[in-house]
Amino acid sequence: MTEPGGHGDGGDEIPAAPTGFLRRYVFSTDHKVIGKQFLFLGLSFLAVGGLMAMLIRWQLARPGVPVPIVGGLLFGSAGGVISPAAYTALFTMHGTIMIFFAVTPILIGGFGNFLLPLMIGARDMAFPRLNLASFWTMAAATGVLTASFFVPLGPPQAGWTAYATLSTAIGAPGVGQTLWVVAIYLNGASSVMGAVNYITTVIRLRAPGMTYFRMPLTVWGFFLTSILNALFVPVLAAAMVLLFFDRVFGTQFFVAGSTVGAGGDPILYQHLFWLFGHPEVYILIIPAWGIVSDLLSFFARKPAFGYRTTVYSLIGVVILSTAVYGHHMFTTGMSPLLGESFMVLTMIISVPTSLLYLNWLGTLWRGATRLSTPMLFCLGLVFTFGVGGLTGLYLADIVADMYLHDTYFVVGHFHLIMAAALLLASFAAVYFWFPKMFGRFMNESLGKLHFWPTFVSLNVVFIGQLLIGYAGMQRRLYDPSVYDFLRPLLPLNRFISEAAYVLGASQLIFVVNFFWSLFRGAHAPKNPWGVGTLEWTVASPPPHHNFDRLPVVVRGPHEMGHPAAWALGRDWLAQDELPIHAPGDGVAATAAQGAAQSPPDGSPEGPP
Amino acid sequence: MSIELPHDASLSGHLVDGVLGYLTWSTCVTFAAVVVFLLFAIAFHRERAGRTRAHHSHGNRPRDRALTFAVALTMFVVVDVTLAARAASQLHGVFWRYPDADPNTLRVEVTARQWSWTFRTAGPDGRFGTSDDVVTLNELDVPVGRPIYLKLRSRDVVHSLYLPSFRTKIDAVPGSTTRLWFQAEEAGVFEIACAQHCGVNHYKMRGLLIARAEDAYQAWLARAETDGRLRGEIAGSASWETGGAWDWETGR
Repeated sequence: MTEPGGHGDGGDEIPAAPTGFLRRYVFSTDHKVIGKQFLFLGLSFLAVGGLMAMLIRWQLARPGVPVPIVGGLLFGSAGGVISPAAYTALFTMHGTIMIFFAVTPILIGGFGNFLLPLMIGARDMAFPRLNLASFWTMAAATGVLTASFFVPLGPPQAGWTAYATLSTAIGAPGVGQTLWVVAIYLNGASSVMGAVNYITTVIRLRAPGMTYFRMPLTVWGFFLTSILNALFVPVLAAAMVLLFFDRVFGTQFFVAGSTVGAGGDPILYQHLFWLFGHPEVYILIIPAWGIVSDLLSFFARKPAFGYRTTVYSLIGVVILSTAVYGHHMFTTGMSPLLGESFMVLTMIISVPTSLLYLNWLGTLWRGATRLSTPMLFCLGLVFTFGVGGLTGLYLADIVADMYLHDTYFVVGHFHLIMAAALLLASFAAVYFWFPKMFGRFMNESLGKLHFWPTFVSLNVVFIGQLLIGYAGMQRRLYDPSVYDFLRPLLPLNRFISEAAYVLGASQLIFVVNFFWSLFRGAHAPKNPWGVGTLEWTVASPPPHHNFDRLPVVVRGPHEMGHPAAWALGRDWLAQDELPIHAPGDGVAATAAQGAAQSPPDGSPEGPP
Repeated sequence: MSIELPHDASLSGHLVDGVLGYLTWSTCVTFAAVVVFLLFAIAFHRERAGRTRAHHSHGNRPRDRALTFAVALTMFVVVDVTLAARAASQLHGVFWRYPDADPNTLRVEVTARQWSWTFRTAGPDGRFGTSDDVVTLNELDVPVGRPIYLKLRSRDVVHSLYLPSFRTKIDAVPGSTTRLWFQAEEAGVFEIACAQHCGVNHYKMRGLLIARAEDAYQAWLARAETDGRLRGEIAGSASWETGGAWDWETGR
């Protein structure tokens, strides 16, 4: 564990940067370019999925009322009204797009790619061409998914979970569902290619001295997520292959019921789906946890509290996440022994999660916190993840789940984590690493203006959904007013929808800020935030080969506020700042050397 | 705009409400503590003129670790372990103790399809699949004060029988039989919903549960027996698609 990572033969050779336009910007093997491609792809689909959410909220607030502005264009044949079929397609595609084509590419594809080599001191990924293949496989998947809108019988309508037998020819005879299956399969192939690459990169390409326990928690997050991805996305792929066979070749793996007289098992699909699906929740949230763990330390100007406990907690969550998926299936009539085991295992996972969360609080305690935009988003995540995590307890309890299962309580719970927490982490990451990615700052005032309405409205929306679900409303309901007991909830549904429109509209501030800053933002120096991880020791944006000279790492990622650093006139030490001789981690020597040795980037510079 | 649980008309729904109450209470207290801590840390541990330096600590001293583990384990015992123990005892004592042996039990076979519910009771001879079966569409008639024992099947896709006023639901899965029991404690008309997305008209898959006092129920049953519209023939009794008894004898 403590052996410094090697960087392989020829690691010190600086590869030449490609010159042609296609090789530089389109079919690039540079992890930084691929990371940006994933980021743009993810943000675009985030906008599409978000607009779909607006339409869903319109229908729930005003069932049967024509959609203003875009109604005639999108639902012209129905007079601008969202039909039940269109609504079903909307929530199916909203879930699919957000999970597989927005959040996954933004965090794992985008930031994972951009940050991993830079943060561990490598010149690129272990397999640059596999990386290229990973992006273009994802691009192909988006093409197939988009095509499913334009086929006879319309887009897929079986929900993002695509439960059999609804997703087989019995419930979804159209080509759209088949294309959905292919798109998810390709998306999974892309994820696995990325995962294998990330794992190899972290194991093989760490700079000298970058031991596992000196890796930034962001790297730990991507590393552990990749392990889950490599293990469990193939399970989803298997389910997709079987479903494809059922749909196209007439096999009966998942087909059953007296309508068709087949002897397959629809529950097998649920087992396969959730055996992947629950780790998937952690696949998405663990990078966010890693990023937030680092950023809380950076902006509290204080080392991460209990770094090793955090790492072991993350590992604990990864291991346990493989054995809790059954809590998605409590109402399928599963064996009592199985149900109870899953309930207990699900509850045990709250221990490492609490440790991680308490360490965040510990990091903030007695810090000298700077409330910059990335920090605001991180603190927002700490809040919403608290609500999202605690409401998970309701659904882990079989007795409570008998009532709450398949209600909006579930929707609110997983949106607080998969939507709210992940978006807040993604925004924090964008604001924080934008200067490194593009060499320019994002506007700080617009950033704060983006944060507050986003934070308030997303909590109103998703906590509102918890309340609606507590009152009993089922999910995926085209028109709740069909039920007497749900009719009193209409005012609350309207209120949630209005908050959702605010949430949607606030994102325009981000879009404006993003594009304005891309071309007009203030130029960023090497290390604008004054932190010590390796990506901040190179230029912004980094050169093609990242490091002119491979760094030698001498300390952990969070040496913030170290008393010895004050002698250098700042409050941070870079991971590769070389001591003259090294008692302990060499800080004393560095300090004694004083101003004689110029720090990697001069004095800390704040963002303008 | 009042947010409350639907009216509880069941024998054991109060157990669910009790668990929900404990969950709400314990999670709200926990979260309030977190928020107070966060606000305090943000308000008083901000970088400002008099506070330019953070306290330097990696939080890895034994007492730091002991503190985090103590808090996490306390939470685990007070919330998780308590809930799991309570759930296990209620599941075994009530929800999973099916009324197989109770002679008062009313057995009902439920068939779900896109997008309706069919309920079949055995009729006076106590046997399913005979010509005196009573079959109703989207309406489940039950007596108050007797255990109602449902077995469910689905003809096409996965559905989920959801009884908000009874705090329970169970999936109806093509190719297998699931079961559920409950007991109405008061007469009235309650809604039956489908909770599992089952296609375009999922939202229309609504039924009614009509609970009557025993004598009113018997009167309804007698009427149903003579009312051809409610008799087994409506669904083609002899060729009833699932045929005969649904594992009632084996107790599963």
